[in-house]
Amino acid sequence: MSEEKLVEVKNLKTYFYTEEGVVKAVDGVDYEIYPGETLGIVGESGCGKSVTSLSIMRLVESPPGRIEAGEIIFGGKDLTKLSQKEMRKIRGNDISMIFQEPMTSLNPVYTVGDQIIEAIILHKKVKRKEARRQAVEMLEKVGIPLPEQRVDEYPHQLSGGMRQRVMIAMALSCDPKLLIADEPTTALDVTIQAQILELMNDLKASYGMSIMMITHDLGVIAEVSDRVAVMYAGKVVEYTDVDTLFEDPKHPYTWGLMNSIPKLDKDVDRLEAIPGSVPSPLNFPEGCKFNTRCPLAEGKCFTDEPPLEAAAEGHKVRCWRYEDLEKIKLRGERIYADGGVDK
Amino acid sequence: MISYIARRFLILPVILFGVTMLIFSMIMMLGPYQRLSTYIKDPAQLKGAEDIDQLVEKFGLDDPWYEQYGRWIGGVVKGDFGWSESAGAPVTKAIADRFPATIELALFSLIPVILGGIILGVLSAVNHNKTLDHIIRIFAVVGWSFPSFVFGLLVLMIFYGVLGWLPPGRLSNWAYEIIRSTDFVSYTGLYVLDGILNLNFKIVVDALRHLIAPVFTISILWWAFILRITRSNMLETLKKDYIRTARAKGLAENIIVYKHAVRNALIPVVTVAGQMVLGLAGGLVIVETIFNIRGLGQFMANAAQQLDYPGVLGGALYYGFFLILINLFVDVSYAVIDPRIRLE
Repeated sequence: MSEEKLVEVKNLKTYFYTEEGVVKAVDGVDYEIYPGETLGIVGESGCGKSVTSLSIMRLVESPPGRIEAGEIIFGGKDLTKLSQKEMRKIRGNDISMIFQEPMTSLNPVYTVGDQIIEAIILHKKVKRKEARRQAVEMLEKVGIPLPEQRVDEYPHQLSGGMRQRVMIAMALSCDPKLLIADEPTTALDVTIQAQILELMNDLKASYGMSIMMITHDLGVIAEVSDRVAVMYAGKVVEYTDVDTLFEDPKHPYTWGLMNSIPKLDKDVDRLEAIPGSVPSPLNFPEGCKFNTRCPLAEGKCFTDEPPLEAAAEGHKVRCWRYEDLEKIKLRGERIYADGGVDK
Repeated sequence: MISYIARRFLILPVILFGVTMLIFSMIMMLGPYQRLSTYIKDPAQLKGAEDIDQLVEKFGLDDPWYEQYGRWIGGVVKGDFGWSESAGAPVTKAIADRFPATIELALFSLIPVILGGIILGVLSAVNHNKTLDHIIRIFAVVGWSFPSFVFGLLVLMIFYGVLGWLPPGRLSNWAYEIIRSTDFVSYTGLYVLDGILNLNFKIVVDALRHLIAPVFTISILWWAFILRITRSNMLETLKKDYIRTARAKGLAENIIVYKHAVRNALIPVVTVAGQMVLGLAGGLVIVETIFNIRGLGQFMANAAQQLDYPGVLGGALYYGFFLILINLFVDVSYAVIDPRIRLE
C-alpha cells in the first residue's frame, strides 16, 4: 500500500504510575492505518491493546496513566500534543469508538435517540429536529427495526445486540475517518457476533472509513481484518497482512495462538497450548518478554530484547529465532506440548 | 403512575391504623390510675379512693383496650382527637396552631440540605483528592459526628448567649404584636411567607433571623449525610462505561458531569433522602425544644412527658400522615429520575 497513511503511531509508550510501581502497559508500539482498511490488533488480556486505542483517543485515565513518549500522527497533527479541547473536536467526529460492553456503555437514564442526537448536534452543528432525523436514519442503517419508535426507547428496553448496533450508529453518526472497535463482539452471543461483524464490514464499505479492530479472538481477526498487529506484553511482536499471518506465522507466540484453535481442515489429535500466562506488567522479564513461555528461548533471548524487524516483504517480527522456527515448521514438528485438550 | 399514587392513598388509612394501634397499645401499658393522674391538677379536691374509682369508671379507663381504642378512633373519624392536657386545648387546635412553625422549619432545612448537599457532593467528587475535596470532607465529618442536641446548645450559647445575634423563638416581641394586629392577614402561618404576602419585609427579616440557628442545627448533620452519599455515588458513576462513551463522543467535561453523571448518581441519593426526612422529623423534636419554637415536635415532646396520651396519639397521626406523603413523593421522584423504574 502506497497511499497516504490515515494514522501513524510511532514508538507509543503509555505508562501507569501505580502504588506498586510503573506499569508499562504500552511500551513502544508502532503501526499505521491506511484509509479504508481494517487493522486488527490481537492479543491476550493485559497485553496493552485497549490502552493503545485509548491512547489514540487520549482517554487514558490520568492520573495514573500518562502517554510517556511517542507520536500519534492523524491528519498531519500529533494527537499526543493536542489540548483536551482540541481533542474533543476529534473524538466522536473524526475518530469514534465502540466498546466491549454494550450493556453498560449507554447511559441508562437517557433515550438512545438522545444519546445519538447529542453527538450529532455537537459535531455537525445542526438543529435538534434535523439531528433527530439523522439519528433515525443511522438507526435504520445499522439494521434496527422500527427506528422511528426505537429512537425514543431507553437502553434497558433493547437487547445486547441492539445496543451494540446503537453504539455503532452513534459512532458513525458524524462520518468518522477511523472507527476504533474495542472487543465489540466479545460480550455478545455467537450468532449476534457474526451479524455485528457483517454490519461493520458493510458499513466500512459504504462509508469508506478505516477500522481498528481490537480483539483477543483470531476468528474475528480473520473475518474482518486486512492487516494484523499481534501484541504481547505492551509490544507488537508480529505485524503483517492477515493471509500471511494465518499461513505463515513467524513469531512463536503467534504460532502458539494459531495452533491452539481447532481447525476443520487439519487432522490433529490434540491442540497445542502455550504454557503459563502473561507476565505481570510490574515485573516483565529481561530480554524478550515472551521468554518465560517460549519453548525456543535460549541465551540471547534472556538478555537482549529483539527488535521488530522485517523478516520478509511486509512482514515484521520481534524474535531472535524466527529463522529456526521456520526450519521446525518445514520439518512439520510441534514446538509446544499438547495442552491436554482434545481437538 | 397515577394508579400507583391512588393505591398508595388507599392504603394510607391502613398504615395509620397500624401506627395508632402501636402507640395506643404502648399507652395501655400504663394502668388506669396512672392515666387518670394526668387530669388531676389538685389532689386535695379528691375526697378519697372512691372518687378516683368513680372517675376511672366515668371515663371508662378500665374498659378493655379495644373499647377504649374504639372510642378514640370513633372520635377521630368525627374530627374529635380529644383534649390535650399539656397544650390546654383540643388536640386538633393544638396541632393546627403548631403545624406551620414545623413546616416552616422543615422547608427551610430540607431545601438547602438537598440542593447544597448534592452540589457539594458533586464538587467533592469532581475534585477528587484535591484541596476542595479535603475541605468538604472535613466539613462532612464534623457535621456528621456532632449530635444536634450538643450542636444546638452550642449555637444558642454562642450566637444568642454571647453575641445576641440569633435569638430563640420564632419572632421578636414587637413582631408578634404586628402579626396579631388586624392589619396583618395570616395566610399560611409560615411567618416568612406571610410577611412577603403582606408586603411587610420587617417581619420577613425578623422571621429569617430566628430561623437561621435552628435550621443550621438541624441541617448540618443532613448536609453531611447527603454530601457523603452524593460524593461516593458520583465517584462510582464517573468510572462507569457510559461516562467513557460520553467522553469518546467528544462531550465537554461539565456536560459529562452534570448531564450524564449527576442524574445517575442521584438515584441512590433519592433513596436515602427518604430516610433523611424521617430522621429530620425526629430532629425537629430536639431543635424545637432547644430553640423554644412552638411547633409539632415541641408539642409531642411535652405531651409525652406529661402522659398526655390524646396529644401523643394525635401528633403521631399527623406525623405519620406527612411522612407517608413524603415517602410517596420520594417514590415518584425515583421513577422520574430513573426510566428503568416504572411504578406499577
